[in-house]
Amino acid sequence: MEPIELRARARRAYELGRARLGAKAAAAALAIAAAAAALGRPLLLTAVLGAALASLAAALVFRGRASGRAVWTGLWAGSAAMVLPLALSTLGCRMFGEACMRFCLPVCMVGGLAMGFALATVARGQEEGEVEFLAGGAAVAALAASLGCTLAGAGGIAAMALGTVLAGAPVWLAARASR
Amino acid sequence: MDQGARAALQRGMCRLADGDRGAFPEVFAALWPVLRSFAARALPAFAEAEDAAQSALLKIFARSAEFDRRREALPWALGIAAYECRTLRKARARRREDVSGEPPEAADVRTPEDAAIERDLQAAAAEVLGGLRALDAETLLAAARGERDPSATFRKRLERALTRFREQWRARHGAD
Repeated sequence: MEPIELRARARRAYELGRARLGAKAAAAALAIAAAAAALGRPLLLTAVLGAALASLAAALVFRGRASGRAVWTGLWAGSAAMVLPLALSTLGCRMFGEACMRFCLPVCMVGGLAMGFALATVARGQEEGEVEFLAGGAAVAALAASLGCTLAGAGGIAAMALGTVLAGAPVWLAARASR
Repeated sequence: MDQGARAALQRGMCRLADGDRGAFPEVFAALWPVLRSFAARALPAFAEAEDAAQSALLKIFARSAEFDRRREALPWALGIAAYECRTLRKARARRREDVSGEPPEAADVRTPEDAAIERDLQAAAAEVLGGLRALDAETLLAAARGERDPSATFRKRLERALTRFREQWRARHGAD
């Protein structure tokens, strides 16, 4: 094999390796969507959000850099925020009745707060590209959390987003100031 | 590879793992000569060593997205190369076993000497056959081709032809 051809093949192998890594992230995103559907979320909405989440996760991991590194953090944080309202609607309603649904909005807010805090904490540990990390992680986490927070409608998503900013911003700003 | 080159390779591999495509030429240039010389030491045949080095290089780049930055890049890359060399050596040993395990065919067993002796015998037999009567020669050739008539007449004719053939052979070559 000529060196130029070998170089081209090595480059292809590298890109394929990154695509394989992206496919793993997409598979994880689809598994989160499947869990949301199994916990009773509407199939069509879950499919649309799951497809968007899987595409975004795969693209960011394939591209790499700070936003690629943020994907797994975003998926973990987002799925935790997704589980809270879904746990309320399944376990909570079984134990305390339908009245517990009035806590749905606050639970989305709490999920968002936890998500924002987690993302900002991991982002401040990054050597470079914290902003990119935060943006990529927040986008992935928000989509993952939406799988559960749509239970409270658009208000649930807004509460989750607000919680993310409220918890994430101070942590990140404090980290920036201390540098 | 000196310490500086090792550190540069480590940095390049970390950048590649992070998705920085700009580190590709640098890592390629650092790894290729190292892998070639490693494979050349591990495998005696030049072509096999080149194959192993190329295969290792492609595998390293395919896995570089998953490279763990806490590991040292050079031992990691050489580990992959060593595995490729071992795989090639095993494949070669298997091929050798396959060849030696086959039952020998009749044609392969014959040496050129055997073939020459057989040609001489055939020529001598044809010469003796040519000296026989036409009916005797025809009977012997029919028997040799397996076209034996089951009748007693053919059997007796064959016996007589063989006796004459032996006499002629003995007369020309002095032995059976």
